[in-house]
Amino acid sequence: MSGTLLLQQAINGLTLGAVYTLIALSFSLVMGILGILNLAIAELFMIGGYVGFTLIIAGAPLPVALLAGMLAAAALSLVIEKIGYEPLRNAPLITPMLSTLGFSIILQNLATNLWGSDPLQLPGDMLATRIALGEVSIGAMQLLVIGAAIVMVAALAFVIRYTTLGRALRAVAENRDVARLLGVRADRILLIAFLLSGLLAGAAGVLISLHYAAITPYIGVETGLKAIAVMVVGGVTRTWGALLAGPLIGLAEVATVAYGGSQIRDFVVYGLMILILLVRPQGLLGGARSDQGPRV
Amino acid sequence: MAILNGRVEKIALCASLVLGLAVASSNEAEAQALAGREIAIGAIVPSSGHFAEWGRTNTVTLKMLEKQINDAGGVNGAKLRITIMDDAARPAQSTNALRKLAGDDKVLAVAGPLTSSACEVVFPVANQIGIVSTSQASSKPGVAKANRPWAFRNTVDEQILAQTTVPYFKQTFGIKTVAIIYDAKDATAATVGTKIMPAILTANGIEVLNASDLLSFNTGDLDVSAQVTKLRSYNPDGVVVSADYSQAVTVIREMKRQGLVKPIVGATQLISSAILKAAPEMPIIAPATFYAGMETEAAKTFVSTLTPLLRKESNLPAEIEPSMYDANIYEIVSMYVDAAKNAGITAKPEDLEADRVKIRDYMAQLKNFKGLGGPVSFNADGDAVKLFYIVEGKNGVWTDKLHKCSDPNPAACGL
Repeated sequence: MSGTLLLQQAINGLTLGAVYTLIALSFSLVMGILGILNLAIAELFMIGGYVGFTLIIAGAPLPVALLAGMLAAAALSLVIEKIGYEPLRNAPLITPMLSTLGFSIILQNLATNLWGSDPLQLPGDMLATRIALGEVSIGAMQLLVIGAAIVMVAALAFVIRYTTLGRALRAVAENRDVARLLGVRADRILLIAFLLSGLLAGAAGVLISLHYAAITPYIGVETGLKAIAVMVVGGVTRTWGALLAGPLIGLAEVATVAYGGSQIRDFVVYGLMILILLVRPQGLLGGARSDQGPRV
Repeated sequence: MAILNGRVEKIALCASLVLGLAVASSNEAEAQALAGREIAIGAIVPSSGHFAEWGRTNTVTLKMLEKQINDAGGVNGAKLRITIMDDAARPAQSTNALRKLAGDDKVLAVAGPLTSSACEVVFPVANQIGIVSTSQASSKPGVAKANRPWAFRNTVDEQILAQTTVPYFKQTFGIKTVAIIYDAKDATAATVGTKIMPAILTANGIEVLNASDLLSFNTGDLDVSAQVTKLRSYNPDGVVVSADYSQAVTVIREMKRQGLVKPIVGATQLISSAILKAAPEMPIIAPATFYAGMETEAAKTFVSTLTPLLRKESNLPAEIEPSMYDANIYEIVSMYVDAAKNAGITAKPEDLEADRVKIRDYMAQLKNFKGLGGPVSFNADGDAVKLFYIVEGKNGVWTDKLHKCSDPNPAACGL
């Protein structure tokens, strides 16, 4: 195997890892910190992607498309919180999870009806700039995805650790009733968590779909499952964990596909996840189990 | 003698008048033989899921055909009713649809299912129930053959098609080496990618550079960068992409992104207008039994009638054109209608089983059915005998390069 090929595959793996990291952040906020299983996040990512993609095709600049994708996903996330989660908050864990699964299927159907099942493609060479680094090359969108993953992880970690909102989020996650007694408006914090999660999913959707230059209504499910694996491997309570686990899973996947075959890809990726959890149940960067509060 | 001749002429005239009246009256009686009854046909199409586009265009096609036939007086006076079920291209759902159509809706025959994976599950059930099931798209070798006598496919075996496609690909682009990538989760794509293409390429003197390490991906994969990087490392003259068009788009776009601009060859699954947008500068060679730009009168009428209806649908792309599978399902139900007209179908509930047998026998013996691209019949394996075309997709259009009969005897296709 030549060094060039290995390097190009490493770039592929890192980009794929960044893709997973971006979506894992959205999961991390509600699943990792608040203990809420919102399975519709994968489809919020897809819808955000479609909105941004459609605007880019219509000639809108990237920042506008990005903002629109984020807002669309955030709006849907709020709807999910109000209809799919809040009324079922005290029901058994499986109930809101099934509710968000229902939303996920509805959103997929919605996208199929609005945009069709054929891949929506970027015309021609739009956003296809590549930068040559000797014998290997990297796309401008690849760099943007990797950069965005790093910036967004840092931003989210900062928000959670150092801001009033972050402290409120952690307080609600620790004990909703006590947080309320301390003056934290738990319901509003939950809503904000869903809102932020939607914004993150939408941003990830726009960047990822533009990176691949094509989008279908079915991109959410599999990518979403891998993102959950990334979140768990990184440590559900540690935002920075996604930045370590994403590239790890991405590189493992690319290496398996390139040198083992796609038939064993999922076996290796999820096998790695199980192995890491057996050795470190709290994930690579996870602290003590007590870090994670009860479901809110 | 002149008098005698005059008498003979009068007798002949009277006789022909009487015969003409008798034939007219018999035709009229035949035309109304099923008046007041209903010819129920079922269809299984994937209106949701990965192949929703195909299922939705199939649905519009069938509704158009139903209206055309009923507006023209029905089937010997009977109203045509086509019940369409969505199977989402999931084999278990396809089987449920077949059971419902046969058991609850009492249909005479079924058009579909679409995919080979679904056919492999549905055809044995069709045999068990005793109802004709004819696929509009399945082309994996031997799927109908393994489920005779009730299974049919209005498609040509990919093995037969590849035997013409590969030599054309080699000759046109001077191909000496190829690398193969295929969708491991798609039954037809996997068979074409791992068995049919390697054997036929080798037989044609083309070296498969990754013969011992065929590259694959899974239906729905978004990222195929690792596979394409490896494809690129082989530096082949051409690339075999064995996948349905929606998956192939992902591979072709990644090839373009990584600078692997090479001629592509594949199976009928590649035929679509969407794939032409993926990398218009890369030539794509594939076989087809129908494509929207076909020149036959029947095809032109079909396309000009169906296209505006498809484009009116809100959940289909604005620039959509009829696909090969729309043409195939249109032909399938037209065959069933012909069977109902000509095979002595009564359409009475008590004759349902006998009517289904008549349709089966009619299909098996069908010769020179007027298809959209030429005459259609079925071989002993239950697969269609019809003309096929090797087409090249480039710069946004498919162009017919050569055509051939799927049967060794060209006369079977009217050539």
